[in-house]
Amino acid sequence: MDLLGFCEWLEHASWIVTISKTGWMYQSVEITHYFSLFILVGTSFIVDLRVLGIAARRESVSQISEQLFPWVWTALCLAVASGFIMFATDAADFYPDWVFRTKMAVILIAILFTIVVQLTTRSDLPGATHTFSKLAAAASLIFWVGAILAAVEIAAISGLG
Amino acid sequence: MYALLEAIAKWLEGTWWGTGARTTLWAYPFIQLIHFSGISLWLGTNVAVDLRLLGLGKNRQTAAQLSEDLFAWNWTAFCIVVLGGFLLFSATATTFITNPAFRIKLGILVPSALVWHIIVQSKARVWGRTADTPTVAKLAGLIELLLWLSVVTAAVEIPNF
Repeated sequence: MDLLGFCEWLEHASWIVTISKTGWMYQSVEITHYFSLFILVGTSFIVDLRVLGIAARRESVSQISEQLFPWVWTALCLAVASGFIMFATDAADFYPDWVFRTKMAVILIAILFTIVVQLTTRSDLPGATHTFSKLAAAASLIFWVGAILAAVEIAAISGLG
Repeated sequence: MYALLEAIAKWLEGTWWGTGARTTLWAYPFIQLIHFSGISLWLGTNVAVDLRLLGLGKNRQTAAQLSEDLFAWNWTAFCIVVLGGFLLFSATATTFITNPAFRIKLGILVPSALVWHIIVQSKARVWGRTADTPTVAKLAGLIELLLWLSVVTAAVEIPNF
């Protein structure tokens, strides 16, 4: 079975049909998606801004990083789980859409840069690591903003969602 | 009173920014981007403190420290949210003011959450001084979380009316 075939099967899976046709269920999924993505992007922004030296400067980079990264990943899990269900309700339309594919690619890159930020901020390393960490933080910021842009463009360009 | 609101809404739709947001193809998603990025940073900074008040997650700084550290970006984010929200509202103001979900969101939930947030932020200096927060702080943090969740819920419901 190819991926498009899988998407068609997924869209018609009984539990997906139930969620998609039950108003409060689908809306709960949507609310979870929005709320968790805001927390994910927001907490990631704060760490990035701290690494770049323009937020929470009284705390060390590692203090802010350790405080907030658990929430970044908790929120990511919720956003991915709820996002998958939203995708599944209309999978065969989302799958071939180039804006949706762009969104997925941008999110993947944002996650990778965010992982780099976490790995390079575990301890307050001086010198070269710091510059590397700042570059990753700037990239993480830009790609999360890009992820939101790609997300709103799915509705604007493709009319999906 | 309502006639005045209607007149303002009509005027906003006719302004260059209201018309621009509604009629140009590219503008609306970018305004959504401003609004959503702002909300991310606003909720990220709020929820990070609320969860710390609740005593959940890491304990790398006290709630008082975290609240003070994030204060500047918290209110910067608020300004971004308002700017984006104002432009989105201007695009289709006359439709928004008749929407029940929008009315509940802007008329009841946002003001309540905002007042609660300001109270929590000012009290965090006292409640959050020690590593272990008092019960009243935990309750206040939980209530703020639920208030913002209700705001997101109302926002998600706007297109359903």
